[in-house]
Amino acid sequence: MATNAATRSAADRAGPDGPADHAVRTEALWKIYPQEPRPVEAVRGVDLTVERGEFVAMAGPSGSGKTTVLNLLGGLTRPTRGKVWIDGLELSALPDRKLAAVRQNHIGFVFQSYNLLPMLTALENAEFTLMLQGVPARERRERVLRLFHEIGLEGMEHRRPFKLSGGQQQRVAVARAVLGAPALVLADEPTANLDSTTAEALLDVMQQLNRDKGTTFVFSTHDPRVMKRAGRLIRLVDGRIAEDVVRGGG
Amino acid sequence: MGRLPTLAWLALRNLGREFRRSALTAAAMALGLALLIWSRSLADGAHEDWIDAGVRLGEGHVTFTASGYRDSKSLDDRLSAAQLEVALRALGEVEFPDAFATAPPLASVRVETRGLASSPDGALPVFIVGVQPSVEPGFSRLGEEVVDGRYLEEGDRLHAFIGASLAERLGVRTGSRMVLTAQSASGDIEGQLVRVVGTYRTGVQGLDESLVHILLATARAWLGVEGATSVAVLLPNSTFTDPVRGELDSATRPDGIQVVGWPESLPDLYAALQLDDGGDWAFHVILFIIVALAILNAIFMSVLNRKRELGLLRALGLSGGETGLVVYIEGVLLTGASGIVGVALGMVIVFVFFRDGMDLSGLMPDDINFGGIAFDPVMVPVIQARHVVQSVLLTATIGLAASLFPAWHAARLDPAESVKVE
Repeated sequence: MATNAATRSAADRAGPDGPADHAVRTEALWKIYPQEPRPVEAVRGVDLTVERGEFVAMAGPSGSGKTTVLNLLGGLTRPTRGKVWIDGLELSALPDRKLAAVRQNHIGFVFQSYNLLPMLTALENAEFTLMLQGVPARERRERVLRLFHEIGLEGMEHRRPFKLSGGQQQRVAVARAVLGAPALVLADEPTANLDSTTAEALLDVMQQLNRDKGTTFVFSTHDPRVMKRAGRLIRLVDGRIAEDVVRGGG
Repeated sequence: MGRLPTLAWLALRNLGREFRRSALTAAAMALGLALLIWSRSLADGAHEDWIDAGVRLGEGHVTFTASGYRDSKSLDDRLSAAQLEVALRALGEVEFPDAFATAPPLASVRVETRGLASSPDGALPVFIVGVQPSVEPGFSRLGEEVVDGRYLEEGDRLHAFIGASLAERLGVRTGSRMVLTAQSASGDIEGQLVRVVGTYRTGVQGLDESLVHILLATARAWLGVEGATSVAVLLPNSTFTDPVRGELDSATRPDGIQVVGWPESLPDLYAALQLDDGGDWAFHVILFIIVALAILNAIFMSVLNRKRELGLLRALGLSGGETGLVVYIEGVLLTGASGIVGVALGMVIVFVFFRDGMDLSGLMPDDINFGGIAFDPVMVPVIQARHVVQSVLLTATIGLAASLFPAWHAARLDPAESVKVE
C-alpha cells in the first residue's frame, strides 16, 4: 500500500503559497495546558498543510496530541501560540461567534461515539447543519435522502439514535458532517467503537465521499484499517510531527 | 436572531425528550403559582371582608364631610343642608360599570357626636350616631347582630339601639330608659331621654361598649342640626374607592366638602391590611425562592448531564451564546407552560371555594378581631386581576431568573472538553 511513499518534513509541505490555497494550514502551532506541577505541552510547534481532497490519518500513541491537533483544527480550542487556517480563514483571532460560523460552514465533525443529538431522528440529525446554514426544508430533505440512499441508510430516517446500531449512528454522523459541504471533515477515532465489518463499511462510505465529492478528511486514529486506507499518514509523537508520509491514492 | 426558531425547536425537543423531568419541574412551578393565586384570592377575599365590615361601621368606602370636620369632630364643622344636597347630587352622577348596575352605591346620611349615656346605675361615654332606618339595614350589619329586641324602625323617635356590653354596664335592657347627653350645635349641653329598643353584640368590645344608634331625625332635633356631620357611601366593592373618591372630590371641593376614602378614615384597618399583605408577600417570595432553587437544580443538573450533547452543538456551529440560549429557552418554555397550567389550576382551586368559602372556625378562637374589625372565620376567595397578574409575573421572574445560571454555564462550556467521551 505504501507505494511511492515519501517522507517530508511538515515545513517542506507548507510551501510558499498562501493559506487560502489549502484546506488546512497551521504555523508553529502550540497548545499548552496550565497544570500543576508542570504545564502540559500537548502540541509543540506543529506546521501542517493539508490539500483539498486529501484523506489524511494522524496516528500516534495515546497522549501524542492527535485529538488536541484535531480540536485546534476544528476551532474547538484555541492555540496557545501559532496560527490555524481552514479554507483560508485564520481561526486563532476569530471571536466565538465567527469561530462557530466557521465550524458550521467549513468543518464537519465525526467523533468516536455519542455523535448524534439524542432528541432528534436520524434525518433531523443529518440535516441539522443544513438547518443552521438556512437551507430550505425541502432542499434539506432531498439532500439528506439522496445521501442516505448512497450510504445505505435508507429506511432509517425516522429512527432515534438509540434505535440505530453503532455503525448506523456513525454513518448518520458522517452524513451530517459532509452535507454542509465543508472544506474539511475532522474524524476523531470514528471506528474505535465499531466491529471490524462495520468499521470497514464506514471507511468505505468516507472514502467514497472523499473520492466522489472531493471532501477532505483528517482522522485521528489508532486503527490500522484507517491508516491503511489513508493517502497520507502523519505520525505524532509527544506533540510533534515525527513522520509525514504521502502514499499515492488513498 | 435569525436562528431563534431553530434554537427554540431544539429546546422544545430537549424538553420533550426528558418529558418526565420537564413535567416535574413545570409541575413544581405550576403548583407554586396555583397556590399563590389561591392564597392571594383568599387573602383578597378576607381583606375585602374586613374592609366591608370596617366601612359598614359608619365610614363607608368614601365619606363626605365638611372641611375641617375630620380634625375637629365638632358639630360646628357639619355639612349644611345645601352641602348635603351637593354631595348627594354628585354621588348620583358617578357612573359604574354595567356589571354593578344592580348594586348601586348606598349613601347613609349621619349625624354623629360623642356624649354620655346615663342610667340609674351610672354614666358611660358613648358614640352616638343618628341614622336613617330605611337605609341603615343595607349599610350596617348591626341589625344582624341583635341579641335582644330589634333594630330601629321608622317611628322609633325616642328609641336607641345599643351594644349588649353597654347595656350590661349601665344595667339596662330592652325597654329600659336611659338618657343621652351631648353638646348641641348651639354649644349647650342637651339631654335626650330614649328607650332601649334592642341590643347587639359584634364581638368587638370597643363597639359593643360605646356605639349607640338613634334615628337621624331624633339626632337632628335634639342637637339642632339641619344637615349632617357626614355622608358615608358604600360602593360595590373597595376597588372603586380611589377612582370614585377622586371624582367626587373634584365635583364637591368647590363647595367646601371634603371626600376621603376608607384608608384615610380607617387608618388602623388600612395599616393592618398593609401589614398582612406585606407578610403574605414575604411568605410567597420565600416559598418561590425555594421553588426557584428546585428549578435551578433541575435545569442545572440537566445541563451537566448533557455536557457532551451541548459540546456537540458547539462543534456543529452554535456559538457559546446560542448554546446558552437553547438552555434558557428551555427555562422560558417551562416557565410559560407552568404559567398557563398554574393559572388554570389556581382558578379551579379558587372556584372550588368560591361559593361557600373555607371555614377556619375550628382553627381560631371565637370573637377574634383584626384592626378593630370582627374577623369572619369563613374566608371566601376573591379574584383580583391585578393580583393574578402580579402572581404570574412573580412566577415568570423567578422561573426566568432560575434559568439564567444554567444557561450561563452552558454558554461557557469548553467545547473541546465537553465532546470528550464520558
